[in-house]
Amino acid sequence: MKTKVVLNFSPEAVNNPITHSLIVKYHLLVNILRAEIDEIGGKMVLELSGKAEDIRKGIDYLKSSGVGVRPIKEGVRRDDDACTHCGMCVSICPTKALVLDLKTGKVTFDEEKCVACGVCIDACPPRAMEILI
Amino acid sequence: MAGGDVVVMTAEEFKEHVRANGIRKAAKEVDVVTTGTFGAMCSSGAYFNFGHADPPIKMSKVWLDGIPAYAGLAAVDAYLGATELDESNNMLHGGAHVIEDLVRGKAVRLRATALGTDCYPRKDIDTYISLKTVNQAVLFNVRNCYQNYAVATNSSSRTLYTYMGKLLPELGNATFSSAGEVSPLLNDPYYRSIGIGTRIFLGGAQGFVVWEGTQFNPGVPRTPDGVPKRPAGSIAVIGDLKQMSPEWIKGLTFTRYGASLGVGIGVPIPILDEEMAKSCAVTNNQIVTAVFDYSQPTRSRNVLREVTYAELRSGEIEVKGKKVPTSSLSSLYKARQISQILKNQIVKGEFALDRPVQNFSLDRVFRPLDVRSEREAM
Ligand code: SF4
Ligand code: SF4
Repeated sequence: MKTKVVLNFSPEAVNNPITHSLIVKYHLLVNILRAEIDEIGGKMVLELSGKAEDIRKGIDYLKSSGVGVRPIKEGVRRDDDACTHCGMCVSICPTKALVLDLKTGKVTFDEEKCVACGVCIDACPPRAMEILI
Repeated sequence: MAGGDVVVMTAEEFKEHVRANGIRKAAKEVDVVTTGTFGAMCSSGAYFNFGHADPPIKMSKVWLDGIPAYAGLAAVDAYLGATELDESNNMLHGGAHVIEDLVRGKAVRLRATALGTDCYPRKDIDTYISLKTVNQAVLFNVRNCYQNYAVATNSSSRTLYTYMGKLLPELGNATFSSAGEVSPLLNDPYYRSIGIGTRIFLGGAQGFVVWEGTQFNPGVPRTPDGVPKRPAGSIAVIGDLKQMSPEWIKGLTFTRYGASLGVGIGVPIPILDEEMAKSCAVTNNQIVTAVFDYSQPTRSRNVLREVTYAELRSGEIEVKGKKVPTSSLSSLYKARQISQILKNQIVKGEFALDRPVQNFSLDRVFRPLDVRSEREAM
């Protein structure tokens, strides 16, 4: 099973080797989707994969280490009404989650492939891509 | 031609028809080809007449939702440019976004100040307007619909934010803005049917070409078929903003560059003769443009290579031995929709075709701006 979580760090929690513990103690695969951390704390978006039981334990561990945890269903959302299908995002998305279908002329967004890197957010002229953190 | 039995095809349908039947037959069978484009069109804006207040005011400074509009025209006329920003330079809300809000039917705050005169005593006003309250609201764009445009890439080590979009470092991507084979002026390379007075689809309404676009530059190198290989022609267009729709008028933001207006334009091209049919048969593999390195901060950048729109549309081009993913900045989806809408309107007799009142001059040249003395400028 896979789940995405947003972590909020206090300054004290920043020095905790949390990703290391998640991997070693809870046998989780950890994919860092986004990180904005400095000495005064920060935010991190992780994708955790592993057994449901391990994910639950891992999240409990994070909470007990003073890290704020909020699960998210999806990291990035597209407002389909705002998208003009211009295609600007297509060449910058590193995972090809956004591709132009020449047949329909539309740009499709595959949420499964999206790693919430955020590169497309400020590249989209009508601001149709939104990161949910 | 005014509806009835006219045979109309979209640009893509016509090209397919020519492939199957040849130019001569297609020229005989088809009367009109419809083209379209939807993209960021800078050099756009709208002018308004707000009506007179009581007591009246001769507005000298005007803001629409905080965005300055130019009021040096008369008492209550003002022009709002699409790229205009407020003092904070908030690019998410520029003139283009205010124009979109108005088209959406929203009310917009109007603030104006004035000196006060004997005939216009009032010195300020703070109120709301909408497309319902103003006398005129007219989209008037001085340069739209470029006939071909450059491809932008970036060889430097940092991301560039440009009017050609986000350019990733180390030739990470390349962007292009022309709609290629469906784009209006690429189907009429010598402006035989597109000229002053041509009726067009503009932002969802019917508008007109009023002049050549600024920077009109027909003398660029062309392919043997006459298709310009560099930015060449453009058009100045006008239309009633009150009739337009948010589907085709959209406020856009180019991060760290500014605001721009997304505009949908469609132009019907009457197939006057075989030569016109040949022009409209042009396909992406016959349209060429040049790739430039936008990290070169000069107006005369070197051409990295020439490419066809077929190559650009394939999603990847090779530059300096590297495979570079490509992005279009104009919407193929919306360009197709516009060609289709225009086709339906012509077939139903709702869209009249006009011959240009006057054709553009092919002698125009595009001059640079140099720092010169008063004498040198004379
Ligand atoms: S850049 Fe934005 S508007 Fe353009 S295709 Fe991508 S999501 Fe849609
Ligand atoms: S957030 Fe990153 S991976 Fe997801 S669609 Fe945007 S560019 Fe692609």
